[in-house]
Amino acid sequence: MHTDGERGFILHRYPYRETSLLLEAFTHGCGRVGLVARGVRRPGKTFAGAHLHPFQPLLLSWSGRGELGTLNRVEAPEMAIGLKGDAMWCAFYVNELVLRLLHRHEAHADLYDAYDDVLRKLSQDGSQEQALRIFEKRLLAGLGYGLALTRDARSGEPLYAHQTYRYLPDEGPVAADAKSPGLVVAGATLIALACEALLDAKQLREAKSLLRMALKPLLGDKPLYTRSLFRSMQAQA
Amino acid sequence: MSDDTKALEDLKRALRRLPGIGAKSAQRMAFHLLGRDRGAARDIAQALLRAVDRIGHCQRCNNFSETEVCAICRSTRRDSGLLCVVESPADLVSLEQSGAFGGTYFVLMGHLSPLDGIGPEELGLPKLEALLEGGVVREVILATNATVEGEATAHYIGELARRRNLLATRIACGVPIGGELEYIDRGTLARAFSGRREA
Repeated sequence: MHTDGERGFILHRYPYRETSLLLEAFTHGCGRVGLVARGVRRPGKTFAGAHLHPFQPLLLSWSGRGELGTLNRVEAPEMAIGLKGDAMWCAFYVNELVLRLLHRHEAHADLYDAYDDVLRKLSQDGSQEQALRIFEKRLLAGLGYGLALTRDARSGEPLYAHQTYRYLPDEGPVAADAKSPGLVVAGATLIALACEALLDAKQLREAKSLLRMALKPLLGDKPLYTRSLFRSMQAQA
Repeated sequence: MSDDTKALEDLKRALRRLPGIGAKSAQRMAFHLLGRDRGAARDIAQALLRAVDRIGHCQRCNNFSETEVCAICRSTRRDSGLLCVVESPADLVSLEQSGAFGGTYFVLMGHLSPLDGIGPEELGLPKLEALLEGGVVREVILATNATVEGEATAHYIGELARRRNLLATRIACGVPIGGELEYIDRGTLARAFSGRREA
């Protein structure tokens, strides 16, 4: 089976045998795929694997069926997405989420677009947190665990910006008093998240807690490396 | 496995633990050493034992060394104010062979790799920080690989240096000697342009 010129990114790469690389790629049409790039680490072939790095938009051609394909050709239609400093750590976090939550060979064209979009946003000057929250929201929706962001889960009424809600993991936002369980979220935050509008500092904090709560059951007990790394780096700074 | 081939199987299994050695190569090596060159087999075994027993890490630069502080770090002819940070001992050897650098080194023995769970602690960066605190180093030259992880590592260490008011520089990246622009990939060419300097 041949796949030709498929848009994709490398999520992670591992050395494989003496001269090859094992690549975890995220492609537009085939979702996450495992590929072997043979001979690209051979001395003197320095440039053979030059493009095979994370955050570089690629056109990948591979063959083979089963778990691992064999990379036949790779082209870089444009420059790597320039990520500096914190933006790069954020992008590693995005890669870890995709690696952990997407199964191989499940096409997610919509998520691919969200992934492409978040990398480009992270490379720009805007808010990194905003870009990450929107990606997390789209990731959950793409996986079939989308947040309920339009209606009160119990009354069915539309959400009001000035109202405070309690977000219940299995139900959604519920207008409730201070004693109810669930995560406290302002209606304005939920509405802004729904239409992907710019979130202010308080809304970003709420959105972060909300998305973390929603991602938790999918990620399981194993902590995210990038998250704990980022925390320890911020503690040092 | 019968008793009379146990030692052979153990040897093959041990050889397979070397990088790039599969079952076939391991078998070929084992048969060669046992059948044709038993002297070499004994030498290799002894050299391995000696190396493992004697070689540790230099206290200052973290490179492999038989002494507490390695020869490069002990040398009075080298400028200890210049500290070049590299990923591996092999990188250090390449730089030494180029003869371009007269300062001292710090060998990370890897790079930051968030997705493999290799963070600053795992990489032994506290040791580097102690070196930066020492008051001798004035410039940190970041000579990590031009890969995504290498850049991330350089950025992180650059921050550590800047926080201590030390100059942090990154080795240049661009057109290789003898390279023709026509055949150079876009990324490298763009880096060569952004890093251009007065002729």
